[in-house]
Amino acid sequence: MKPVARRTVLAVGLGGAAAIALDVALAPTIAYPGAQTRIGAPAPAFTLADSNGKSVSLADFRGKTVVLEWTNHDCPYVRKHYGGNAMQALQKKWTAQGVVWLTLISSAPGTQGYVTAEEANRLTSQRGAAPSDVLFDPKGDVGRAYGAQVTPHMYVIKGDGTLAYMGGIDDKPTTRLDDLKTARNFVDAALTEMAQGKPVSVTTSRPYGCTIKYSS
Amino acid sequence: MLAKSITQRSRVVHHRSQRARHVLGLVGRSLALAALLAGRAGSADASPPAGELVRAELIAEPAAVRPSEPFWVGVRLHIKPHWHVYWRNPGDSGEAVAIQWRLPPGFVAGPIAWPTPQRIPVAHLANFGYEGDTTLLARITPPAALDAASPVTLEADVTWLVCETECIPGDAKLSLDLPVAAPGVTGGSNAAPSASFDAARRALPQPSPWAARMQLAPDLVTLRVDAKSLQTGAIRSAAFFPYAETLIRHAAPQQLDLTRDGLVLRLERSALSTAAPGDARGVLVLEEVLGTTTARQAFELADVAIDGGSAPYGAASLVAVLQAAALALIGGVILNLMPCVFPVLSIKVLALVERAGGSGGEVRRHGFAYTGGVLAAFAALGGALLGVRAAGAEVGWGFQLQSPIAVALLAYLLLAMGLSLSGVFHLGSSLQGLGRGLAQRAGLAGSFFTGVLAAVVATPCTAPFMGTAVGFALTQPTAVALAVILALGLGLALPFLLLTLAPALIGGLPRPGAWMETLRQVLAFPVYATVAWLVWVLGQQVGPAGLFAALAGLVLVGLAAWSFNAVQSAGGWGRRAAAGACAAALVGIAVAVAGLGRDRAEPSGVPLSASAPRIERFTQARLDALLAAQRPVFLNMTAAWCITCLVNERAALASEAVQAAFAAKNVAYLKGDWTTRNPEITRLLEKHGRSGVPLYLLYTGGSEPVMLPQILTPATVLGEIDRIPDPSRRRASLPTSAKEQAP
Repeated sequence: MKPVARRTVLAVGLGGAAAIALDVALAPTIAYPGAQTRIGAPAPAFTLADSNGKSVSLADFRGKTVVLEWTNHDCPYVRKHYGGNAMQALQKKWTAQGVVWLTLISSAPGTQGYVTAEEANRLTSQRGAAPSDVLFDPKGDVGRAYGAQVTPHMYVIKGDGTLAYMGGIDDKPTTRLDDLKTARNFVDAALTEMAQGKPVSVTTSRPYGCTIKYSS
Repeated sequence: MLAKSITQRSRVVHHRSQRARHVLGLVGRSLALAALLAGRAGSADASPPAGELVRAELIAEPAAVRPSEPFWVGVRLHIKPHWHVYWRNPGDSGEAVAIQWRLPPGFVAGPIAWPTPQRIPVAHLANFGYEGDTTLLARITPPAALDAASPVTLEADVTWLVCETECIPGDAKLSLDLPVAAPGVTGGSNAAPSASFDAARRALPQPSPWAARMQLAPDLVTLRVDAKSLQTGAIRSAAFFPYAETLIRHAAPQQLDLTRDGLVLRLERSALSTAAPGDARGVLVLEEVLGTTTARQAFELADVAIDGGSAPYGAASLVAVLQAAALALIGGVILNLMPCVFPVLSIKVLALVERAGGSGGEVRRHGFAYTGGVLAAFAALGGALLGVRAAGAEVGWGFQLQSPIAVALLAYLLLAMGLSLSGVFHLGSSLQGLGRGLAQRAGLAGSFFTGVLAAVVATPCTAPFMGTAVGFALTQPTAVALAVILALGLGLALPFLLLTLAPALIGGLPRPGAWMETLRQVLAFPVYATVAWLVWVLGQQVGPAGLFAALAGLVLVGLAAWSFNAVQSAGGWGRRAAAGACAAALVGIAVAVAGLGRDRAEPSGVPLSASAPRIERFTQARLDALLAAQRPVFLNMTAAWCITCLVNERAALASEAVQAAFAAKNVAYLKGDWTTRNPEITRLLEKHGRSGVPLYLLYTGGSEPVMLPQILTPATVLGEIDRIPDPSRRRASLPTSAKEQAP
């Protein structure tokens, strides 16, 4: 074999090895939904339409704390939080302090929780809710990227784009209104600690609620 | 339209005694419906009311309560088809059934005894729960002082979430009145509740007879169950249901490996699991193949030891990583002494120094480029191997020496490497020439590629040593594995780097010479020692025939190596003969490997418990003698690998009621252990049309024994034993011919 041909073979072989190594490194992020969502890792980027027809991206809020709330207005667990005015109070408290609160709906069309823009706006005013925006994710891509499983499923994103909290809203996984009084709200705690410049003490908890009705 | 389903609560009115229950149930349901219509002006097209989805009732096992004597109660849930309620760990969503007891003073209720859950997939997630009918048991302990005059009222508030695709919470207030037994009256349970309690108990996981350990890695939870003597073919599937709610990804497949020491389940760790779980217990469900059917057996792993740190980069594991990396570094330095690396090394450095004309800076840059090349090659190698490991984990490979075939192949590979070092044949000589060609390129790129080639080219003659380090690395988590492999590369590059940093040392290097060849041949012997150790490992895993097959394979490897060399050096006719011998040897090796795979060592038999003197070892002669003496005989055919047998023995045959019944009817209990394929037992099995265990036969004096089902409950066994006539009556009956023919 001529030296030139040998070098080519070797270069090709090395290139192949490098490609394999790269694949191995990337595989977990491609294979599993939400596999790249980890505390401290950058939150997956997204761009979705809101209930006023505008296009909203996570990147728009760089520098601000963002709360993502996955919701389904018919889910008994969501109804507990809205029925007891707890969710609305939390939204008002933190949007007043400059936190961006995004309510996301990943239900597929025709399933429980899916609403049109008009219905969403009507629900917001009826319930006295105060999110910064309501975003629609009917294909479920954003929900899957975040690994959102149930409603309500909460995520808190720091100003630098990394995840500070993900999981359930509080520690009482029931539909009983009374439990709101004694529940420990993890989102409120995380936002309070972040506002005081302290590290978040409880970064994950079991998310509870109804499963999100993703499109298949 | 807004509300497709409404939150509804059903209120099932008090359950009185069994007579009034039915009527009151109807009344209760109509009241509930009225309350619904009055209370909520919701939409018309609602999902069925929660009361139709789950019907709850409270049942008690005894007919009466006796002071201080604990008894079992059950909350029986009848769930509409396709709907489900949830286990204590509901999985990715849902809410576990909760029972709030309201008991008279002095009564204490124990925790819920949860039946074995089912895995219920929902889209790409998974829940754990129950469909159809299920009973949640609890043990209630009455106080010592009970007023015999007034009945005891037990009340339970049960709440649940029932889902199909949509979820509806529900609750029920149940109550049950039980009389207090008059002192002196023997308490007996009615037949009907006992059967349903038996069935409920059968649905509970058994206490696990095996120890279990859990290893936590950042992405992986490995559950090891020390269950020797499980047969690979008999276990169809295994699943672990943890009590901790955020430990594993519930929807991910669980990778099962059956090894000689037991089974290993690899579970994906949940992103929500940031520390070791407070509760590592759970339920292990095994599906066992019994002839043509499968049986689902569940065990509670109540004491799971957690090995290893949970924090991925904790201080303790950092020390271990550094130790492994240090050893790998030393190994890499030693690799430089190999004849396929050493000449390249000294030539290249000398050429560098001459070209640079003493300019220290340029020489140093070349040194770094070389190091970069080596590290790049090792990183690629590490990445590829970890990729193979990840892919292999999907397919079910293990990287430990568990399979005799893997051990044999590794032994053959190492023998070939050793023979190569001893000079019987030469591997990779063309690659070595390639290395020298590229080493002559000028420039930093040349140095980089020299580094790459030093790594790649070195492989054939360094493989045995690299193999050990890499093999160890592959059993570790990803971070440790990469650290070890890169440290190995750094060790390989280190002498060259040092020489470029201090070219004066070149004078101190020994000249390449015959000593290298001698060193190479000496280093073959540690490799042969490794082969000997692998053969010893193999001896534990296979029987004598398999070991012979493995050793014959080793001889054939020697033949293949020699004839490979002969092919390269001989000419004409000799070459063809050598090639033929080589090919024949390779075929022979394949046959040997296949042969040893078939001869695995049998596990040792299950010893009969010495504490139960009434259990006799089965022999045909003993059975015939007992039948001739007209004693009823219960025959239990079992084997060490049979999990269903184990569960049946514990749950049914060992129970006090059954043992008492055996004694009362003078039933002889014969137990046959088929672990070593006793031919007498095989004949008996075949006679009854079975190819495997378990087999339960009850000889009652009729012409044919009664065959009991493969899954026993105490009620089943007691039912059959009840049919045996009393010993006194039997003695008067005519003798019947139930003798087996002696073999």
